[in-house]
Amino acid sequence: MNTMKLEIVTPTGLIYDGETKMVTLPGKEGEFGVLPEHASLVSLLDAGLITVETADGKEIIVAINGGYVKVDENKVSCIVDGAVLISDEEGSISESLEEAKELLQKAQSSDVAIATAVSRVESIKKSY
Amino acid sequence: MASLKDIKRKIKSVKGTGKTTRAMKLVSSAKLKRAEELAKRSKIYAKKITEMIDEIALNIAKHEESLDNPFFRRVRNPKVVDIVFVTADKGLCGGFNSQTIKTVAKLKEKYESEGAQVRLRGIGKKGIAFFRFNRVEMLDEIEGMSSAPKYQDAAGFINRCIADYLEGLTDKVLVVHNGYVNMITQEIRIDNLLPVDPSSVGNKEPSPSELELEPDDDDTLLDALVRRYLEYVMYYALIDSLAAEHGARMQAMDAATNNASDMVKSLTIAYNKARQEAITTELIEIISGVESMK
Repeated sequence: MNTMKLEIVTPTGLIYDGETKMVTLPGKEGEFGVLPEHASLVSLLDAGLITVETADGKEIIVAINGGYVKVDENKVSCIVDGAVLISDEEGSISESLEEAKELLQKAQSSDVAIATAVSRVESIKKSY
Repeated sequence: MASLKDIKRKIKSVKGTGKTTRAMKLVSSAKLKRAEELAKRSKIYAKKITEMIDEIALNIAKHEESLDNPFFRRVRNPKVVDIVFVTADKGLCGGFNSQTIKTVAKLKEKYESEGAQVRLRGIGKKGIAFFRFNRVEMLDEIEGMSSAPKYQDAAGFINRCIADYLEGLTDKVLVVHNGYVNMITQEIRIDNLLPVDPSSVGNKEPSPSELELEPDDDDTLLDALVRRYLEYVMYYALIDSLAAEHGARMQAMDAATNNASDMVKSLTIAYNKARQEAITTELIEIISGVESMK
């Protein structure tokens, strides 16, 4: 299966950089998924969660508080104001979940979007 | 000739000062490393966002004849100019703050001689203190932001400027800060924030593939993107200034430490001389006393 490069950058640094199979993004006008070979696209992103399926089949979740995404055939660049990586690899999952929740709650976005994202974070928390 | 006791006291005090300045230098060099790292990491973001603006601006330019967006408005003779200046919250860093202040004062004079009204927006205690002392009115006085720059704060601040600009309260916004070149050099940087100069955003060949935009409205997208860009420029000015501040302080404190040790050296020589002199006179007194008793 094809893969594409994903980069998530914030003003304070690179959050994620790697090969992925699929990325689901919280677009301003609805959530959408991107697969490799997608047509070029630029979209505004709302506060929410980016779900990433990495090349080796793992799932990674990144909470963001709004920004942009630019999709090219085999590259996705997300430019966001703030992001928190939630991954189960590190032991500090509960800590990063808390951080993610705080980031989302502070985001300037519609209440619905924030509430949805926060409740998703909560549900991830429960599953651990 | 100062007395022995006086010299001794002075040596002690200069030594103490030397210790303080050495410690300050070490603190600054540690902080500089952190600020440098911050600046380096944020540069990735800068690259991406300029790339994106380029692409969208080009995309719009392809469809429309001219870039008709308030952010790219061309102003020949600005009537109101906002100067945002960034100085440190603390002193003891050589000419770092005064260089910025001087530049701001010069710019202000220049625009005023052209008949424009100048409004100052100050960030950093030192610059604010200077203009307040000289009874220059400032629109904004923000302290504490330059020693610990946060993206959200920078964004909030610059959005106030953007709002003023869009309402027509100001025609031009400049950002002046003292930027970091390397450990020992700083340089005054003047950024034209608004209106955005399309040529400063860089020029790139449009990508061959058609770009899909969402939301489908070019202007909303460009508008939001330009805002992000401006927020970033402001944030970067703060980090850059912070790095430069620590660089300047390191240098100033290094010079101060050297001066202190030089002073200790010359004072020690003076002390020894005075001590010898005292011994000599005492000896002469004793000998002449003995002589007279013979």
